[in-house]
Amino acid sequence: MPANIIQLRQLLSEKFPGAHTPLEQRRAAETLYWPTGLPQIDKFLRGGLPTGALAELSGTKQSSGSATLLREILAHAARRNEIVALVDGNDSLDVARVEEHVLSRLLWVRCRSADEALKAADLILRDNNLPLVLIDLKWIPEKQLRKIPATVWYRFQRLVEETAAVCMVSTPWPMVSPAQTRITLHSALSLGALEKSAGELLDELKLEVSDRRQPAETANFLQSSA
Amino acid sequence: MFAAVLIPNFSLQAVLRADPDLRERPVALVDPEMTGTPIIQATLTAAKAGVVAGLTPAQAMARCRDLIIKTRSRPREQSATEILLQTAYAFSPNIESTALGVCTIELKQLGLRNASDMQNYGAKIIQTLAPFYLEASAGIAPAPALALLAAQPGRSSEECSFRAGDGDLFAAEVRTPSVQGRQSVLVVRSANQFAGHLPVAALEPAPEIAAILLRWGIRTAGQLLELGKSAVSERLGPGALELFERISEDSARPLKLVSPPELFSEQIEFENEVETAAPLIFVLRRFVEQLSQRLKAIYLVTGEFQLRLGLAAGGQYEHRFGVPSPTANVETLFRMLQTHLENVRTDSPIVSLELTARPARQETHQLGLFENTLRNPNQFAETLARLTALAGPDNVGTPVVEATHRPDVFRMRRPDFDAVQHSPARTQHAGLQLRRFRPPLPAHCEFRENSPALVRSERMGGPVADARGPFVSSGNWWDNQRWAREEWDIEIAGGILIRVFRSEEGCFIEGVYD
Repeated sequence: MPANIIQLRQLLSEKFPGAHTPLEQRRAAETLYWPTGLPQIDKFLRGGLPTGALAELSGTKQSSGSATLLREILAHAARRNEIVALVDGNDSLDVARVEEHVLSRLLWVRCRSADEALKAADLILRDNNLPLVLIDLKWIPEKQLRKIPATVWYRFQRLVEETAAVCMVSTPWPMVSPAQTRITLHSALSLGALEKSAGELLDELKLEVSDRRQPAETANFLQSSA
Repeated sequence: MFAAVLIPNFSLQAVLRADPDLRERPVALVDPEMTGTPIIQATLTAAKAGVVAGLTPAQAMARCRDLIIKTRSRPREQSATEILLQTAYAFSPNIESTALGVCTIELKQLGLRNASDMQNYGAKIIQTLAPFYLEASAGIAPAPALALLAAQPGRSSEECSFRAGDGDLFAAEVRTPSVQGRQSVLVVRSANQFAGHLPVAALEPAPEIAAILLRWGIRTAGQLLELGKSAVSERLGPGALELFERISEDSARPLKLVSPPELFSEQIEFENEVETAAPLIFVLRRFVEQLSQRLKAIYLVTGEFQLRLGLAAGGQYEHRFGVPSPTANVETLFRMLQTHLENVRTDSPIVSLELTARPARQETHQLGLFENTLRNPNQFAETLARLTALAGPDNVGTPVVEATHRPDVFRMRRPDFDAVQHSPARTQHAGLQLRRFRPPLPAHCEFRENSPALVRSERMGGPVADARGPFVSSGNWWDNQRWAREEWDIEIAGGILIRVFRSEEGCFIEGVYD
């Protein structure tokens, strides 16, 4: 190739860095999203949970609405005709409150300990067949949760980033250090919540969403109760 | 025309298929069912060292110090016979299981116009058998008996000094790795010319007839034919007539047609009892390779495996493996078996192994535009097997809620995501989700005016801030599964919403609303 053309290309690429990026690279650079179907989360995350990354859902209170939120995510996945794995760390899913068509698209792994749940999650992530893997560790005893080494989450991150899947971990407090997205629930539900529909409940949830990709000043988003 | 496919030293080759590296070493086969357990067959290396049929193992060991003695195995012979017949069936629908290690094929209407076509046809059969560690020779002639004579190994060039294209005889060496001797295809267009080169001994005459023919100076089958059928039968009796029948091209008989079995199996009886998975996995890998190869030869793939392990105590362990997406991929099939075997525990050591493959057609599945299904169903099946081994069979799968009002009654079924219907666009779910405790937490409840005032349990408890209930339910009052309970939704101090129920067994916390 003549030297002057090379110089011209260099000059143009310095002046307009995006213009000469190959299409494949540009596509790879664009992060894909998995929409949760919950406007208050998707809007802030510019479309949904980033694929190929870990997300964490923490409910600091025992009745904060995290199980309801997980159920809504399952329902949205079913509406998209997607198959979802739920690694249930404490075997706590109440199937009676989940609709049949949602259950039919669910791979449910009922575990009895954190260790078992993490092993199951590892197998499912390596399988690379499912677009969404939910790991529910919320009601696992604190003693077991404290024993989980941080390296486990980094290993999961490495596994997920090679796929187009989303791995969401539900925890009682923030513990998944490499999570790209963190949703923290601050609600404390009262008995009156039992009479509300799922839509009303979700609208009233106090949740804080943080996204590592976004600038620090907009990194936190707190939705107050309506 | 007929083609005879002959596997020389068939019993020995059938045994050595399980350990093909031994084919180049001195190995002899003994038959434990025969008196004195004599050697019945030996590899070429052993034969060169002087090991011949009829020797006792001790005599054979004296002639060849490194001799490996193997025992004849009927199950291995059965597998090898299946391979021979299934391979032949892929070439012609008219086949006969003539004898152990011999298959005769009718070539009528196969479009083989000249000797060269027939040679290529025979060579293809031999080459198809080679990956199964079976070395064969083929003979093609106007009569089945003549074809079998032509198929005897070494006949083409050594004993008869034929040259390719020599008159009406066409001989060809097939280039496959051979340790039993040369693998050849001999096409006989004229029985007379073939008989002119064929030693009389090849017709296997009775000893007394052989001795008489020797005294007469008859060395080849051609010389015998020249004597005339009637003249020889007058002098030597009906035994000599049989010799004429074998060499005559007019003796074409109808074949006893067979259809090979549709099941493909490989089996082995272990010489020593197996107590760990490692030797099993080694053998299984070879079996999977062989079965996949056999199915590929008839353009099919594996749809299901059946594994049978014979136990030393006399029982049998049996398991069926459905292949979610039928495939011929050895790695995928093997991993499926390996994952299962890693978690198998038997009461006694294993003495035999049988793997049967059920053939299926390769799946051709066109995905819908909006369909999201599994990318790799076989990989998913393997992951499912691992998850089942980890969490237990009742804890992995898709939940199905039973048609009862009794709380928390469901069953787990194996996921079948292909059968799932599309979901409705928008549905309304129940309100707050419950996180259940399985089993429910035993609790101590204090009631005031039939309403809970205090709840205490291992994991949570406190004075009741607010409560709703009781919600009464019961069922199965018509049988001995009768149940009845009262439920309360309770908010306890600290802002925890729980569900408590009272039954005949006492009070329990069923779960936490979250």
